[in-house]
Parts: sequence; C-alpha cells; structure tokens
Amino acid sequence: MIPIVVSTGQSKNPVKRELEEAVIAELDKRPGYEVVVIPNLYDLSPKGESMSALQALEGDLIIFSWFYQRSAHWILDRHGIHGKLGDVQLQAADEEEDEAAASGTEDEADAEDILRVIDQRPVSDRTIYCLDFRVSETANDFVEEAQRIVREITGQELDQWIQGTLSEQQQARYEQPQNDTAMGPATQAGNTVRIEEAAGRRWYPVIDFSRCTNCMECIDFCLFGVYGVDQSETILVEQPDNCRKGCPACSRVCPENAIVFPQHKTPAIAGAAADNEGFKIDLSLLFGQPNAADVAAQERDEQLVLAGRQPVEETPILAKRQADTQASNPDSLDELIDGLDTLNL
Amino acid sequence: MSEPLVFMMGEFAAEFPTDRQYARNHMWALASGESIRFGFSAYAVRLLQDVYFLDWNLAAPVMLQQQQEIGSIESKKAESSLYAPVSGQLTAFNDKLLADPSTINTDKYGKGWLFDVEPADPELPLLTPAQYIEHLDGVWKITQQTIKGQLN
Repeated sequence: MIPIVVSTGQSKNPVKRELEEAVIAELDKRPGYEVVVIPNLYDLSPKGESMSALQALEGDLIIFSWFYQRSAHWILDRHGIHGKLGDVQLQAADEEEDEAAASGTEDEADAEDILRVIDQRPVSDRTIYCLDFRVSETANDFVEEAQRIVREITGQELDQWIQGTLSEQQQARYEQPQNDTAMGPATQAGNTVRIEEAAGRRWYPVIDFSRCTNCMECIDFCLFGVYGVDQSETILVEQPDNCRKGCPACSRVCPENAIVFPQHKTPAIAGAAADNEGFKIDLSLLFGQPNAADVAAQERDEQLVLAGRQPVEETPILAKRQADTQASNPDSLDELIDGLDTLNL
Repeated sequence: MSEPLVFMMGEFAAEFPTDRQYARNHMWALASGESIRFGFSAYAVRLLQDVYFLDWNLAAPVMLQQQQEIGSIESKKAESSLYAPVSGQLTAFNDKLLADPSTINTDKYGKGWLFDVEPADPELPLLTPAQYIEHLDGVWKITQQTIKGQLN
C-alpha cells in the first residue's frame, strides 16, 4: 500500500486549489491508493497531527507539494522521514533539456569524492518520490506520473519477492487479478484522509545532507542561534523559529549550496535543481554583482538591526580579526621556535 | 574626438570611444551637466551578443545605491542581473529599449543608452578610457575562466 500525500499550498489561488482537488479526486477513485491530504508541508508544526501521521507511514511514499523536489525531500528528512530520492519523470518542459545537458557535468563533479553527511548514514531502504505541483497545469499529468511510480514500486517489490524479473503480462495480472482466489486491493476507493491543522507561516533553513559536508560555516555565520549540532557532532537546524523571517543570508555562505529556503523567490535558494541555467552563461559576476559573502553579511546586519542588536559591519569575518592584530617584531622566543624547524624533529 | 581605443577580445576588436568614462562593470558613462548617461560598453555587448530581453525592477525616479541590483538582461548566449554603477538619483530609463532591446547591439554608444543618473557623490568610481583598457587587461582572463567554468 503506497501512501500518496498531498500537501496543499498556502495560496488561496482558485486555479491551484482546483488542481489539487482534481488530483485528489482522481486518485481517490482508484482502489489501492491511500491518499492523505495535509496542509503546507513547510509550515507544519513538528509535533502536530499531520507530521505525526507522516511519521507513521511506512515504506515508499509519494508526496505532492508546491516545492521543488529537493526542498520537499529534505523538509521530510528533518522530521525523521528519511529515504532515497525517487526518480520523478514529470518535469517542467524547459527543465528536460537542461537535465540532459547537466547530467554529463554532474558525473564529473561526483567523481571528486567529497565526503557528504549523507554518506555517513546507513542507506535507507525506502524511496520517497516528491512531485512539484508547479510543473504542470494538467491534473492528469500528475495522476499518470503517480500511477507510473506506483507501478515501478510494485514492480520492484515483486521482483524482490520472486527473486527474478516480472514480465509486463505477469505484472498486469497481479494488478488486475481475474481469478477467484484474488483477495482484492487492501483499500477500497474513496479512502482519502484529510488532516486539518492550523498552520502559521514559518521561515527556516532546510539542510540538504546530500551536499552538506559538515564544514560548520553556517553555524559560525548565523548570529541568531538557528544552527546547532546533534550528538554525533553533525550540523542541524536546532532552533528553526529563531530564524529571521525572509532572511536567506546563510544560504549564500554555504560553500556546497546545501542550504535551502523553500519559500524564497530565487529558485537556486529555494531548492531548484542545480545547473538549471541551461545553455545561457551567467555574466552577473562580470556585470558588477557583489560577491556572495558581502551580500550575506549585509543581509545579516539588516536582521541584527531590525532585532535591535548591533550590526557586525564587516565583510569577511576573518579580514577584521586579522586587521586588529598588529605585526610585532620577532623576539628571542620567536627565533627559538623558528629554530626548531631546522632541527628536523 | 580622437580615435576610439581598441581592446582585442580574442579575435574581436572591441572599440571604446574616448569622449566618455567607463565603469568597472562594463558600462560607459557620459556626463552632461548634472546628469550621467550610462550604457553598455563594447566588452559587455560582445559577451551578450543579440539582446533579447531587458527588464528593470525599479521605476524612475528612484535613489540608487552603487552595486544595488536594478534589473536583468537576457541575450542569445547569456543572462545576467544588472547592478547600479554609481550611487545617486536615477532620473530616467531609456523606455524605447524595452520594446526593442536590439538597439543595444546596433548603437550601443548612442541610441542604445540604458539610463540617466544624477550622482550623489562628486567622487565617482569611474575610469578614464585608458584606465578602463587596463582594467580589461586584468579581467579578460577571469572572463574567459568564468565562461569556461560554467560550460564545464
């Protein structure tokens, strides 16, 4: 039984509401689909009913939301819902070409063998498929993709049971059994569960642990105490509600672009797939773009002032620390220490 | 006016008139009275190639901070955000460009002008033509690396 979660959007836009309802209605008609409707995934309270329901689900799952695949995936991860990133084939039209162009480059980058936080975790045996409601305006596209994914999951499960590979006809007979000993699907149609929960608007960073290398730049940078470390000294978002609303400063200092703010207006910060520029070169750095560290420091200072605190008023932190120290004349102690180098200990 | 200065971008001879100043972000700056008119230098236009779309995210008149993001441009080969070259009061955008940005390609130093600014500070971070050519010597290598880096 593969659960299909539909996380509704914040907006009251009737077109968006209709799309969600159309997809829910279609999936609801089909026996064997367990549809769970929850409010906006990002805004959910960690201990609330919706999150508890999600945490109780087992096995592979499909989730529809109004976020990029990466964002949805890592929001779930933060709440203890871990899994492998499922292959979703439904993409926005212009992204398909870019994916083809980018796939060559990504292989080269991975060959660098940088240790990411995710490499230190046991490999999850579940797969999570995150679908972004924004990639199409046609409900049917989503329903078909959900069906394709369900078939893929079922096919894989069956292959594991029989320790072989099912043929198309065998899988079709399994899904639509004609014989009289068939037990029928575990759930009947019309089984959609809707969880209503008051959800306030939240703003907090989401860490993508497939990119994070635990370098700790973010915890050094954020002066609002949003980041912390867990028992295994791994970075995590410890106090999400300390995060200053609208501030994306830390995402700019992360060297691996591992910090996502799912609601930010810039796709790269909101978790869009990397290398989505396609065939266009970005000349912004040449045309006067201030460097990322400067922008980040400025945004952080704005937030400090708004919070009634002193701004830091510097660009790179290290530059200021070094500017304060004065070079002093070497004394006999320095010479002695330098002398140690020549002893070849 | 003396002959324009030339800088070789690979095999392309980019020309820079000497009757105006230049900003580090590859815009030219022509003063007339209190106001300075800005446009793209040949260096910028060569990198962009055919301009398809120009968009400003502010309306004139408005106060600008240097390096503030003020708009974006999309061309055949590239896209970029655009940043204010100086601080001051932006008094006008060249509205005709919005309907037909290709004027940037056909008349970059004249009708393809971008916007007018009344600067806040008499000390402007602008370069003479000769200083700009020196600046280009420095950035040409970085430009090529930036482009190669993105193609990889």
